Amino acid sequence: MHEVSIALGMIDELMRIARDNNAKKVTGVKLKIGKMSGIVTDSLMFAFDAVKLEHPMLSSATILIEEVPLMYGCEKCNKTFETENLPFQSCPFCGSYSLKLLSGEEMHIENVEVDV
Amino acid sequence: MCDVCGCHEHEHGHTHSHETRTIDVNQSLLKANEDAAVSNRKHFDEDGIFAINIISSPGSGKTTLLEKTIDALKNGINIGVLEGDIETDLDAERIRKKGVPAVQLTTGGACHLDSILVHKGFHSLEHSLNGKRLDVLFIENVGNLVCPSFFDLGEHLRVVLISVPEGHDKPLKYPKAIRTSHVLIISKTDLVPHFDFDMEKIKKDALSLNPSLKIIELSSKTGEGMDEWIEYIERLIHR
Repeated sequence: MHEVSIALGMIDELMRIARDNNAKKVTGVKLKIGKMSGIVTDSLMFAFDAVKLEHPMLSSATILIEEVPLMYGCEKCNKTFETENLPFQSCPFCGSYSLKLLSGEEMHIENVEVDV
Repeated sequence: MCDVCGCHEHEHGHTHSHETRTIDVNQSLLKANEDAAVSNRKHFDEDGIFAINIISSPGSGKTTLLEKTIDALKNGINIGVLEGDIETDLDAERIRKKGVPAVQLTTGGACHLDSILVHKGFHSLEHSLNGKRLDVLFIENVGNLVCPSFFDLGEHLRVVLISVPEGHDKPLKYPKAIRTSHVLIISKTDLVPHFDFDMEKIKKDALSLNPSLKIIELSSKTGEGMDEWIEYIERLIHR
């Protein structure tokens, strides 16, 4: 359950952002979570909704999660492809093993919506 | 009282001037941990300390490997240990018996170490050294193959152990631990004859997740593979 630790860290960060921007309330948070990040989005939302109640400034904040697909780029033929499979075998176009992960490991706060 | 903003100021008929703004943030969810990890690493670099974070499931043999590693390294290399556990200082006690300074970090429930806890632990370790400097710091993480892989502690090298009894399917089941580690130690290799353990498969799967992974097969009990491990880290410590 690293999601609780992540939610606690996120709450500290949101409080800081709210203070820096003289916000009255945080109303929404948009996250980008890669399919391969290892974060269970339901657990993260559950943890956030539980701990946010301790902070009046965050108590009505809702999370919006954009799930980022797993994308690889082939370093040989320069094509990109999306896959569900984490341990890849080879490029579906040219067969090369020289692949680079382009997306899918994200764990980002993209933006925060506040009332000022 | 107005139930929108809680104010006592006015009769209704007023307009609330709540303006909504979107603030672009674009930062990691783990920023606080990452910032402290960067500062830990800088501190280790300035002091010439090579820091190794050891992660694995409970019971893969982290502490036993550490004891054997201390025996093999001890001469001429100053070792310090941070021991992570949810409760008890049993592991730190095992390490201290080897004559090596060790600080126990008890997380009190959390299933991983974070860089802030390591920062505090390192300072209490420094206090116990009486000015002696360290060459290598081993950080034994809480036994867990999932959560520790999320938290950079400021280490230079992350080592993951998977023991033979756990099975050869673990890399595919715990991809993040494999992807974020530099070294995979397949431990308890003396037990291979007693298990249906496919050594080639575990290596192939691990490398498909992380092609630059260094893999060492090792038994702390028989000493098989210890030379390779010790030579490998000695080169890094002296760099």
